Formats: sequence, structure tokens, C-alpha cells
Amino acid sequence: MAKGQDFKVAVLGCNGIGRLVSTVVRMAGYKIKQMRPDEVELLSCGRLAVKEPEHMKLLEKYPLLVIDGCRPHCASFMADELGKQPAARIYVADVMAENKINVAGEKRRGLTEKGEKLVDALAQKAVEEIDRIIADEMLSTL
Amino acid sequence: MADKVCLQPCLGLRKEAVLCRQAFYVVHEELRPDQTVLGCGPALNANVQEDLDFIEMYPVMALEACDLDCATKLVDKKGKKAARTVRVTELAKDLDIDLDSLPEGQNIDTEHPAVRAMAERIAAMVDEMLAA
Repeated sequence: MAKGQDFKVAVLGCNGIGRLVSTVVRMAGYKIKQMRPDEVELLSCGRLAVKEPEHMKLLEKYPLLVIDGCRPHCASFMADELGKQPAARIYVADVMAENKINVAGEKRRGLTEKGEKLVDALAQKAVEEIDRIIADEMLSTL
Repeated sequence: MADKVCLQPCLGLRKEAVLCRQAFYVVHEELRPDQTVLGCGPALNANVQEDLDFIEMYPVMALEACDLDCATKLVDKKGKKAARTVRVTELAKDLDIDLDSLPEGQNIDTEHPAVRAMAERIAAMVDEMLAA
């Protein structure tokens, strides 16, 4: 990465509570941060919903990757509500289908190996998007 | 008199938020399944009907991981008032839970003593709210 440049991506997962995918998205968020510690700012839905100033600054400053867990696409709704056009969106069901992962029987309170496979696949997909977004940002400055 | 309480958690990513979420799962799935509903913050923000109905029909207990009180403010944003706002940090102090000992950036098992203790206390608060 070019020195002196602040190339990061803000990641907004839905981080809901009602469904299994809520846990999958949250756990993937932690994994994404582990995989790209210096390139990722994890955003909290709660803070953005009430427009907490520090989070709003991060949202405005960095390109946004949205991760939606279930059908209402709540993270996308939030981005739209706040007037931020995402640089990329990921929908968990797409990742599940692409990787032929079956999470039947998993519980939202804690994942087993099956759920962790989906977390890994989601995190991998997310870092590919993050790398692409950063490359795009970087090239646009040269 | 209400017959259920809407549990509205902080949906942050820090360990206090995870503790809050896990305790709510225990309350809703084990301790008071018929007396509680689980409110989802992003869904409420996105006007998902079920979540709008929850805060319309039932008194809300907002459980906050920090003093930003995002869950309480989100309920305000949707035109309702949380009946009770509880802060995880204060509850932890009251229950002698050492927050420093909990892991950051990962799940906390629902069998963890801190989760169980918090869930038991929240269940008692649910009972108080329903009796009021």
C-alpha cells in the first residue's frame, strides 16, 4: 500500500439478533477484521441508526461494504437511509448458495463447524471485495 | 396489562454487546419464552412490521452495552419510549461480573457464568415489568 494514504473500507454488517444469519454476519465481521486489521473499520448498526457522530464520520470517510443477513436487507436500508452508496454489497444467501453450504440445525446463540464454514466463506468473500475496493481506490489516486 | 416484554438489545460488536445479546437469547429461549419477544434493532430501523409491532404492543426493555444508549434511542426514533433501560456495565458491577475477563471479538458461550447470571437477573426484571 502507498505510504501516507489511508486506504480502508468500512464494513457494515446487519448484526441483527433474530436469525441464525445474524450470528453468522457478526462472527464474519470479527474474522474480516482479523484478516484485514489495518484495512477495515467495522461499523455498528446500532450506532449508525442513531447517527452517532464518530461512526457517521467513518461512514462518510471510507468506501462502504454492506453485508445483509436476511431478506429485509437491513444493512442496505441503513446505508440508503444515511445517503451512502455502498461500493459493494454481499447477501449471505448468495454466499451460502455459491459454496453449497448447508447450515440446517445450526443455532443463533452459537455456531458449530457447519455454521463456521459459512462464516469462513462469508469472510473470504468480504476480503476479496475489500481488496478490490482498495485497489480501485488506490488506482484512482495515481 | 402487558403479557410480554420486548427485549431490545444493543447490537454493537464489543464484548459487552455480545454479553447482552447472549443473555437475551437465554431469557427468550429458556427462562421466559412465553413472556418475551426479541426485538431486532436493524429490522426495527428498517421498519420490518414484526419489529414495529413488538414495540407497539409490548413494553420495551432496552439493554445497553455502553452509555450511547443506541437501543433506547432507536425506540425513540420510532416514536415509542423504552419502559426500562438497563446498562450491561451497571448490571455486571451489581452481579460481580468481571467484564475484563471476557473475550473481545468472539462469541461468548450461553453457558458462561456471566451470561447465566445476567440472564437470571433480566428474567427477574421481566417479571417485575409484567407485574407492574
